[in-house]
Amino acid sequence: MVSVINTVDTSHEDMIHCAQMDYYGTRLATCSSDRTVKIFDVRNGGQILVADLRGHEGPVWQVAWAHPMFGNILASCSYDRKVIIWKEENGVWDKMYEYTGHESSVNSVCWGPYDFGLILACGSSDGAISLLTFTGDQQWDVKKINNAHTIGCNAVSWAPAVLPGSLIDQPTSQKPNYVKRFVSGGCDNLVKLWKEEDGQWKEDQKLEAHSDWVRDVGWAPSIGLPTSTIASCSQDGRVFIWTCDDPSGNTWTTKLLHKFNDVVWHVSWSITGNILAVSGGDNKVTLWKESMDGQWACISDVSKGQGGVGSVADSQQNEQ
Amino acid sequence: MKLKEINRTAIQCWSPAQHHPIYLATGTSAQQLDASFSTNASLEFFELDLANPSLDMKSCGNYSSTHRYHKLVWGPYGMDDQGHPSGVLIAGGENGNVILYDPAKIMAGESDVIIAESDRHTGPVRALDINPFQPNLVASGGNESEIFIWDMNNFGSPMTPGPKTQPVEDISCVAWNRQVQHILASANPSGRASVWDLRKNDLIIKVSDHSNRMHCSGLAWNPEVATQLVLASEDDRLPVIQMWDLRFATSPLKILENHTRGVLSIAWSVADPELLLSCGKDSRILCWNPNTSEVLYELPTSSQWCFDIQWCPRNPAVLSAASFDGHIDIYSIMGGSDRAQNQRNADQISTSFGNMDPFGTGQTLPPLQLPQTTVPPASVNPLKKPPKWIRRPVGATFAFGGKMVTIENGKPNPQQPQQPTHHVVHISQVVTETAFLKRSDELQATLTAGTFVDFCQGKISAAENEFEKTLWSFLKANFESDIRIKFLELLGYNKEELALKVKQDDDEEEDLLASDPEEDVACLFSKTMKLVIFLPDVDGLITQALLTGDFDGAVDLCLHDNRMADSIILAIAGGAELLEKTQKKYFAKTHSKITKLISAVVMKDWHHILKTCNLQNWKEALAAVMTYAQPEEFSSLCDLLGARLETAEGADLQAQACLCYICAGNVEKLVACWMKGQERHCPLSLQDLVEKVVVLRRAVEQTQHSSSTTVGVLLAEKMSQYANLLASQGSLSTAITYLPDNTNQVGSTAVIKNLFSSYITVLYINDLVALIHMNKGAIVTENKRPNPQVNQYPAGAGVQCPTSPATSVPLSPVDLCSPAQPGFLSPYTQPVSIFYHRQSSFSHALSSTPPTLNPYFPNASSCSSALSAPLSPGASFQHGGPGSPVSYMPLFPLSGISGTLHDRDTDPTPASQRTGLHENYTPPAPITAPIMAPLGADPQAQSVPCGAPQGMGHGLHNAQIPYSGMQQQQQQQQQQQQQQQQVTSPVTLNPGLPKSNTEGAPGAPTGDIVQVQQEYLAMPAEKIMKKPIPDEHMVLKTTFEGLIQKCLAVATDPQTKRKLDDANKRLEALYDKLREQTLSPAIVGGLHNIARTIESQSYTEGLNIHTHIVSNSNFSETSAFMPVLKVVLTQANKLKV
Repeated sequence: MVSVINTVDTSHEDMIHCAQMDYYGTRLATCSSDRTVKIFDVRNGGQILVADLRGHEGPVWQVAWAHPMFGNILASCSYDRKVIIWKEENGVWDKMYEYTGHESSVNSVCWGPYDFGLILACGSSDGAISLLTFTGDQQWDVKKINNAHTIGCNAVSWAPAVLPGSLIDQPTSQKPNYVKRFVSGGCDNLVKLWKEEDGQWKEDQKLEAHSDWVRDVGWAPSIGLPTSTIASCSQDGRVFIWTCDDPSGNTWTTKLLHKFNDVVWHVSWSITGNILAVSGGDNKVTLWKESMDGQWACISDVSKGQGGVGSVADSQQNEQ
Repeated sequence: MKLKEINRTAIQCWSPAQHHPIYLATGTSAQQLDASFSTNASLEFFELDLANPSLDMKSCGNYSSTHRYHKLVWGPYGMDDQGHPSGVLIAGGENGNVILYDPAKIMAGESDVIIAESDRHTGPVRALDINPFQPNLVASGGNESEIFIWDMNNFGSPMTPGPKTQPVEDISCVAWNRQVQHILASANPSGRASVWDLRKNDLIIKVSDHSNRMHCSGLAWNPEVATQLVLASEDDRLPVIQMWDLRFATSPLKILENHTRGVLSIAWSVADPELLLSCGKDSRILCWNPNTSEVLYELPTSSQWCFDIQWCPRNPAVLSAASFDGHIDIYSIMGGSDRAQNQRNADQISTSFGNMDPFGTGQTLPPLQLPQTTVPPASVNPLKKPPKWIRRPVGATFAFGGKMVTIENGKPNPQQPQQPTHHVVHISQVVTETAFLKRSDELQATLTAGTFVDFCQGKISAAENEFEKTLWSFLKANFESDIRIKFLELLGYNKEELALKVKQDDDEEEDLLASDPEEDVACLFSKTMKLVIFLPDVDGLITQALLTGDFDGAVDLCLHDNRMADSIILAIAGGAELLEKTQKKYFAKTHSKITKLISAVVMKDWHHILKTCNLQNWKEALAAVMTYAQPEEFSSLCDLLGARLETAEGADLQAQACLCYICAGNVEKLVACWMKGQERHCPLSLQDLVEKVVVLRRAVEQTQHSSSTTVGVLLAEKMSQYANLLASQGSLSTAITYLPDNTNQVGSTAVIKNLFSSYITVLYINDLVALIHMNKGAIVTENKRPNPQVNQYPAGAGVQCPTSPATSVPLSPVDLCSPAQPGFLSPYTQPVSIFYHRQSSFSHALSSTPPTLNPYFPNASSCSSALSAPLSPGASFQHGGPGSPVSYMPLFPLSGISGTLHDRDTDPTPASQRTGLHENYTPPAPITAPIMAPLGADPQAQSVPCGAPQGMGHGLHNAQIPYSGMQQQQQQQQQQQQQQQQVTSPVTLNPGLPKSNTEGAPGAPTGDIVQVQQEYLAMPAEKIMKKPIPDEHMVLKTTFEGLIQKCLAVATDPQTKRKLDDANKRLEALYDKLREQTLSPAIVGGLHNIARTIESQSYTEGLNIHTHIVSNSNFSETSAFMPVLKVVLTQANKLKV
């Protein structure tokens, strides 16, 4: 089920907080409390250190790869209140942009769908969310949502680029008029949806179900259905799945995926959007899949990335 | 940063960690009076609502008490069993009383809020603590060294931890150990702390630093290390916090010195043991790392002393501080600015005016701007050290290809902290669909080995229901010789059995001319008319007529006298014209059940039959088509029947349509039909479908000897779904083989993109778009054809209908009524006019497909096959196109049908309507019902179709009439000869067909070519005025040209060389754009990226970037050069330069 095919010894000197593969799965970026960001070439099971990026003055919480059509670009965010966008030019990684507009730890960065251009959402402990848009010529446009989450935003995640209300193409040859949306989770126990209207970011929805900090949110990749799906996980051990079938995006229903005994730190959707990986405080990763009848079932249970328990899924498949 | 404030002079306590929402309880302090000198006391509850940006806290309950309080603690006792849903609030009063309140009741406004009360203590109760392990245990400390342990299950009889310490002193603090549940510490103002073991019921250690100045105001155990505790000193001369380790209890382990006046309160964070709060008479609130003695943070506070400070147990970043100036402030330790707060203040002031319109100007007031304070809103530095609770230790993230990245942070070893811990990342392959992958592998193996018969056989024996079994049997038949005979057998018509029956009939009627195959029709007619009444009068007349050579008259007389056989025989003698006339009259007159069949056989109007037959008899109809249909129309006839079945009522009939499509080799329709039965997408059912499709496609390819068939929209969709699924399970290489590389749909890419926005699909779509943009440049040239620039269709040839703005693909209009209208693609499509009359019957099938679907874009290879042997079905718009395996015209006795009709008579039960598509399916059985609907039911059915395409005479001598196949072995050779003839025959049968594809596309959009030529002509003229390419982009030109030269050096095949030369020329268009600097930065950037990949020779990556550029740029901007670039990259990749 889950088999380790490569183990990368990062040589980080402190805790790793985030590890992300690039678009093609050829490179791995890691960041750590040792204030560094590292990039490894992991093709063919290798682990060649490509870059060791130093520039942050505090623990680096997250890294995010931009879509490769923009070049090799990586964003990192840190406790030092900075967001750094790194770019590889001629094989050398360098700072492309440094954003210092937050007043507290920046906890999450997430690139928007490439259809929107180069746009980065950043969530900070100062409660604000910043949106950085590359406008060319080394210029970045900054929009800030103040007080998005009182005492801190912990996670941001973009909605896939879907044309509003319809799967049918628009009959114009103009750039499609995508509605930009993302979801955020914060220390106010809320999951909030944000939408850009006339160039301004507005709170679109406020989803309440968690009874403690929302640690992470993940907007599922579109699988072609007009349904939007969001996973949120919390300090309270609960993981909720939020869905919206309503084309106007106003009616969200929630379903409890599971209540864990420990804090749930991270949720991640598979690329095809049908499997959710849930990472808990006990360093246990569980994989979840929605069954035919809409119930979420645990299909695998992995501890520390080592091997896996296939029995859950196997037995399920036998049932099928 | 300050979050909330309460204007109360009160002591405070948070709701327990288990409690949601978070409340703060306040109680009137016993030792303070405010300016009102009121001695009224109350308990109040406030909710911490962080979603509300206001500084106010909502009061949720109020209880007027007779006591004022020294200490409040709130525990979760009773929360689980719902006895006390909000736990229990324990208050230490000024008169030695310990009172248990039920906060839920207070907040509900009930009156009996006191759970229990005791006044055992002799003085004020200043110290309270709830055991963190047993929430029913609470320790209290009063005057005269009194410590009681209260069990809330048995409140009346408190215990003591041991004998009273001497000398007798007040107890200022009690605290339970956070690791060992039976250890309790107490401290008194004199600075001595005592540690009690409740199991021993005795004092076990005293902690004192012999300095009399230590005036103990606070006591706290280390949340993690059981032996460590801190003591805070209130004495201004010694404003310190001492950290003690009981393992070395003679002097403090550390002394935290920073306060300038006495420390009034301390609080150790449970969420992060490296955070210790203290507040002092110097009006500062400090946050320490007690392990390093470092001050991590100083809270920006008001100028008043704080006498009590507490961490919120539930929200680790929140703390509350009560100050003597009558405030309780709630802060966040995470920093952030007060700017938002200032704004809130301004808002508050604004809104206090109600934003009304005091001056009647008709405008609401703008928000009030507070004058900026002289001190800029000091951006408060956050904690120097990130708190533990935001240091995410784990995180599994999915990546491309079903990979998952997990973090492993080794736990630091407390014994050897110097030893480095390992921080590794695991990359895992996640496979969730094992059964699916196994079957996919099997299919791959089959494809490689070509063992389709075995594969089908395996499927047949493993089939779970009869329907599956039948489907696979039909698929298997495709790989066997004599396909149609196999199909017939599967439908329940065994040739040899039938032959036997016919023979019996023949024996009975020896006088008939059955031995001559050419007379089969007549023979059949004779058999149907066994008794003819002979009338002498008429005889005379007929004789007369015959004698006078008046065949017409004689035939008329015979018909009038119902002497059908005579009339027909006479008509044959009278010539073709008369025969045809006679046949028509005959069918008009005769009303037997099989007349329609006979009519169809003679008139060859199978369309009519298939359109009108009773669908319950689909099997018979299909069998008839198999026996009689011309090879080139066989496929379309099967389709026709399939389409009818699909629209039929009853799931069983609908499912049978699949069989028809299998016979027809129509992959696309099979997919559509199969999907109807599949409610929901699941991997295994997709695998089911793909297995069938792949096998059928291979079958069609084999029988038609063509290398590939075109892929329709639906199939492309399913295939990319399948590829996605494979990719998500890590089978990338397999996934790629399933990505349709050619397809007849283009403009709906955005639809598909929405449908499957995963990586693979995006790549695939972009590839697709690129392919179309370059008009299959690579493939077309490989097929030795001129390369018309189809990306610049002249208006009129293809109507600009870009459904996807990103791709802007020109489309031709889709006319549902004439779907085969080929638009600019006419050179590639088959002449369809001869099938025109049939197309209307397909419009219903077509109308179910989205109108945005595009016309047929065949790729060159399929074109060539289609042109050399006009056999390219599969495109959903080409129902009219010929397409049956021509080489398999079975030789089948016509009389077989009538033979089985006898069986039908013995079993008149009609096939009952069945429900449950797959489960209740019964395999084809021998005929159970009349093949045709009873006459009269359909008035149209009687009318003789006029305009039959071919004359009777032709039909009689054509392969249409089967031979009686009694000695199959003997006829085998003959059969093969026939097959060979037929392979070539279709070309001549359809005079409108182009005979060869080699001279390029007849009737191709000439405008394009002209345009291209013009472009070429225009080039030299442009060159004169050309500006230099900007230096920074020169690298593009040198790279691309260098690559082409490299390719040219390696290429051996003249075709490739020509292509590369052409590409080299055509890239001028790109250089021109670079000169003019008209390209958008995104495209230029992308081109540079491609150039970079070329340098590193990773052409696949280059192609990926290419597809991204194409899909994300304006079509007109990139169409001139991107396709060329793709050719170059593809070639480079192929040639491995």
